[in-house]
Amino acid sequence: MDLSQYAELFLAESREHLSACNQLLLEWERSPANLAPVGGLFRAVHTVKGMAATMGYARVTDVAHRAENLLDLLRRGGRPATDELLQLLFRARDALEQAVELSVVGREDEIDVAEVVADLDGAAAQLGPHPLAPSPPSGEGERGGEVPPVGAGRLVQVTLRAEAPLKGGRALLVIKKAQAIGPVHAVTPSESAFEADEFDGRFSFRIGGTAGTAEIERGVRAAGDVEHVTVGGEERRPGTGAGAAPSAAPETKSRHIRVDLGRLDRLMDLIGELVTVRGRLNELAASARDPAIDDVAIQVSRLSRELQDEIIQARMTPVWQVFDRFPRLVRDLARELGKQVAFRVEGKEIELDRAILDELGDPLLHLLRNAVDHGIESPAERRRRGKQPEGEIVLAAVRERASVAISVRDDGRGIDRQKVLERARRDGVVDPHAEALTDDQLLRVLARPGFSTAEAVTSVSGRGVGIDVAVTRIRVLGGSIEIRSVEGKGTTFVMRLPVTLAIVRALIAGVGAERYALPLTYVAETVEFGVQATTIVEGREAIVLRDRVVPLVHLRRLLGVSGDAPTRCPIIVLEMGERTSGVVVDGMLGQQEIVVKGFDAPQGTLPVFSGATIMGDGVPALILDAGGLL
Amino acid sequence: MSHTVLVCDDAIFMRTMISDILAQAGFEVVGEAETGSQAVEKYRQLKPDLVTMDIVMPDMGGIDAVRAIVKDDPDAKILMCSAMGQQALVVEAIQAGAKDFVVKPFQPSRVLEAVQRVLG
Amino acid sequence: MSDAGVVRLLLFRVGRLVCAAEAERVREILPRLDPTRIPGAPPVVAGVVNVRGTLVTVVEGWRALRQPEPSADGEGGGTTVLLEVGGGKKVLGFTVDEVVDLVSVGGETLERRQALPGIDPTLVRAVGRRADQLFVVLDTDALLTPILSS
Repeated sequence: MDLSQYAELFLAESREHLSACNQLLLEWERSPANLAPVGGLFRAVHTVKGMAATMGYARVTDVAHRAENLLDLLRRGGRPATDELLQLLFRARDALEQAVELSVVGREDEIDVAEVVADLDGAAAQLGPHPLAPSPPSGEGERGGEVPPVGAGRLVQVTLRAEAPLKGGRALLVIKKAQAIGPVHAVTPSESAFEADEFDGRFSFRIGGTAGTAEIERGVRAAGDVEHVTVGGEERRPGTGAGAAPSAAPETKSRHIRVDLGRLDRLMDLIGELVTVRGRLNELAASARDPAIDDVAIQVSRLSRELQDEIIQARMTPVWQVFDRFPRLVRDLARELGKQVAFRVEGKEIELDRAILDELGDPLLHLLRNAVDHGIESPAERRRRGKQPEGEIVLAAVRERASVAISVRDDGRGIDRQKVLERARRDGVVDPHAEALTDDQLLRVLARPGFSTAEAVTSVSGRGVGIDVAVTRIRVLGGSIEIRSVEGKGTTFVMRLPVTLAIVRALIAGVGAERYALPLTYVAETVEFGVQATTIVEGREAIVLRDRVVPLVHLRRLLGVSGDAPTRCPIIVLEMGERTSGVVVDGMLGQQEIVVKGFDAPQGTLPVFSGATIMGDGVPALILDAGGLL
Repeated sequence: MSHTVLVCDDAIFMRTMISDILAQAGFEVVGEAETGSQAVEKYRQLKPDLVTMDIVMPDMGGIDAVRAIVKDDPDAKILMCSAMGQQALVVEAIQAGAKDFVVKPFQPSRVLEAVQRVLG
Repeated sequence: MSDAGVVRLLLFRVGRLVCAAEAERVREILPRLDPTRIPGAPPVVAGVVNVRGTLVTVVEGWRALRQPEPSADGEGGGTTVLLEVGGGKKVLGFTVDEVVDLVSVGGETLERRQALPGIDPTLVRAVGRRADQLFVVLDTDALLTPILSS
């Protein structure tokens, strides 16, 4: 049997179980007296063990077996968690994870599990002498029914095959088969011995009734794995038994499957093509003015929309798939740094396109690490400031209009704006006379690459570390990032991301002879330029919209399109959190669904594009990135 | 007519593998269950000729599921899927009414032998 | 390119130059496609085109090789050659005036890089000769990689 076809499934499912182990261990750590997580841990490790054994991954099986053994003892013993025990189980989980990952890529040899195996066995030995001890007796030791007098009936002696697994279970099956032939008694050793691992597969019983030797022997052998049977002292040689397996044509029923992300991507590309062609068909239908063509175009539109919705749905993944590794990370980091942190995750079930979600891990990791390391104060410092010694970090996902907001909030010391301001002045990032930094300016300073250099790390408690990475990554995903920080109270980062990357609704704007797409995700409204009075705010042209100052961006100028703008033209108002901006274009060419594609941007390309799309006429148009325009 | 099978295991991996083994041998896998309670429910719905039952599952374990199924249908043909070291649990499952068992890691030939024994 | 062995080369003309690219780097030869301008990109980049649903960034051959601009009415730049760049990780379009030939030449008939008038020597991998005409085997990676941002 070719096992390699199952390797991916093994990996995916093992990862899920091991991720669950982390959650369960953390849960147990939080309330050591509550044993509910232990059962879950046992099941998860047990499942991994079974899968690994089937795949032939000996080391995974070995570690899992011993961890399972320990967990079983813990489960039965009802002992609360100790720190030592938890550390060991965390280690075992990590070792398992590593062993799983390496085994799948054929590098099982590199895994050294000796130490963790020894520690698991040591811990198990302290807890009890019987690994995987039998469960408490279920009160069914003796078979019910009439008990014939001892010594009556024929003596049946059975030896099971040496290689038979779980001989006790097999012996019990033999007994059951025999019971169907005649009353059975005087089982030796007693049935309760069948439950012990030491049972060697030799047993005997007496059987009453009128059945002949051949019938008894056939019955006993039908239980499987029987080497020898002796009935009434008369030994019989084993014959060859067991019929062949039926060999009808295989027929497989539908069931849940896991789909490779690459395949989903290809499917999405194809749908993208279909959407493009659909656009072309609609244009043709509009110019043909033929009701029959119109009809077909409408049907094609409906079908492709449904197909597209299904595919997008298939790509949607709940955020917990990425969030679930953070509790463990935060815990480990907090311990290492001597901080006390209560970590909470909200909105786990919110869904995002898998392609986006896959990219979120690193930025979130950076932000969380910063929050623990530089945000949350030491317990002593927190007490001095009149705070609870335990700090709080919340990772939350919230669905907004067409986007998902993911925030990382800590109740730590906040960012020392004065220090950042000094640095910003020195670097010329702000006006040298600036008195204070707004949140926006703060982020801009923190997100400067190189701000995380040694000097900055010490002078602003390292807040810059990795923020440029996070900001860049989020921008590439068509999202935005915001910061709110209050000294002494804490810092919050909010990232806003489109729900899906693949297909978005966009405004198509004309500038000169060129077309650009602007995703609706961040479009608040459109107003007309030339009617609105413009004003100058902080050196930038702006309009005032319902008491709000909206700075303007002239796309024609920004993109270097030659020629003059019309006197009256639309302004597309973008809104991203607190920030807003009015994009002045020549004209609006409509709204449509566009398929987002990447392109190789040459050096020098203005940093305001998140990709490109193919319009209904087959010509590419670049997609403007709202984050870059704000 | 091929025999119908209900495959119960909390791991998709295991379900896939068992289903593949059985399907290749001409059985018709008519349903899958991830938990014991699902197994009981699906057994009622599908009335399969054979059930393969994992012992350790969330929600309701395999042994309790065997008890519940056998209570409804004393003739239910249930094959336990166990792991090494689960002697006591296998014994308990057989006492509860399971007809046979196989031990992970599965060898297709052993699984099919056990299935033959169970189906008689 | 080993000294021995046979190399397959696609020969094409850009302005006055006859150039060659290793045939195994050539993905496809297409007619000129109307590119969409990429604001901010250097003039050597014609823009981005749609090749059956995939977006490909196109480089103007005559600008990259410092040849005179083809006349607007002529056939200049009428063909786009899709080239694999950076070990096949990316594909870029390269406009040429015409494709001349596909030839197999013995490695030994090619001379190592040498200075030629009118072309940056770092872009030349070798020089060959076909029917008494010199052609320049381009180092397409050296030519195209710097145009893409990192």
